Amino acid sequence: MPDRTGRYLYAIGRGIDEEGIARTPGLRAARLCVVEHRGLAAVVSDVDLDEFGEDGLRRNLEDLQWLEEVARTHDAVVRAATAVGPTAPLRLATVCFDDDQVRSRMDQWHDPLVRALDRVDGRVEFSVKAYAAQPEPAGQAATARSGPATGSGAGAAYLQRRREETLRREQAGQDAARDAEALYTVLAEHAVAGRRLQPQDPRLTRHEGTMVLNAAYLVDADEPFTDTVEQAVDRWPGLQVEVNGPWPPYSFATLEEQ
Amino acid sequence: MTSTSVASRARTNLPQDVALVDLLDRLLGTGVVLAGDVVVSLAGVDLVRIRLQALLMTVRGPEEEL
Repeated sequence: MPDRTGRYLYAIGRGIDEEGIARTPGLRAARLCVVEHRGLAAVVSDVDLDEFGEDGLRRNLEDLQWLEEVARTHDAVVRAATAVGPTAPLRLATVCFDDDQVRSRMDQWHDPLVRALDRVDGRVEFSVKAYAAQPEPAGQAATARSGPATGSGAGAAYLQRRREETLRREQAGQDAARDAEALYTVLAEHAVAGRRLQPQDPRLTRHEGTMVLNAAYLVDADEPFTDTVEQAVDRWPGLQVEVNGPWPPYSFATLEEQ
Repeated sequence: MTSTSVASRARTNLPQDVALVDLLDRLLGTGVVLAGDVVVSLAGVDLVRIRLQALLMTVRGPEEEL
């Protein structure tokens, strides 16, 4: 009978030992193990391949509750590893068949991994999202500007208001994009590196405003980055800004595609 | 992790409040590109599409397509 157990990889780091992460449970409460190889330490645990094999993943990734449980456990393990040593987190649901395959991955990724770990050592990630503040209620400004309907008729006045409203929205969008760009640049001066992620779909954010910036910054662990953001945002009253962190360096431990 | 409630318009969240969307942005997005043996065929657009559909189902109901 084939072995239906695989090894789930959470992260690869340096100086991470099993004792340091022993108090954090792995997926399905499995014990976390460390596979050491060529000066690197991979954090793994056993998973059932019926659940985490290719067929299982296809099925389970569509199950939001499953996805959330796995994502939150993965994140908790990565955070525990980050507290022990520099850590490169892996993508969700990276599964090998056994420790030999884990080591062969560590061989394959060795040099870029070392560079990634050097990059994130002693640093943390912060998320900064900016939303365009809600424009004033439609109609009021346009009505005030265009005045009452004249001899050209209410229809023309309506079209005129529509045009002004469209222009006003376009202008507001351009202003918000410009402000977001300026905010991104100012904050980058306080960071080791910055990245722009795709703005999130408004149907997912449950935020009324349009997301105009979804940025990640890699900052030195002793940098008071939240304070920096809070001081900076006052310069752009048109933006609503959320800062979130520290995160493990998810956006900066990227390995070059092999 | 700090939480602040100053009069500023910047908001900070605690780790347990981290939105699932933000977490998946990082765990499934382009940020982490180590791909394992089993998920290679799932990596990339397909995986992200699955994610969005799954999330949207809870937000808007299953009948809506992206």
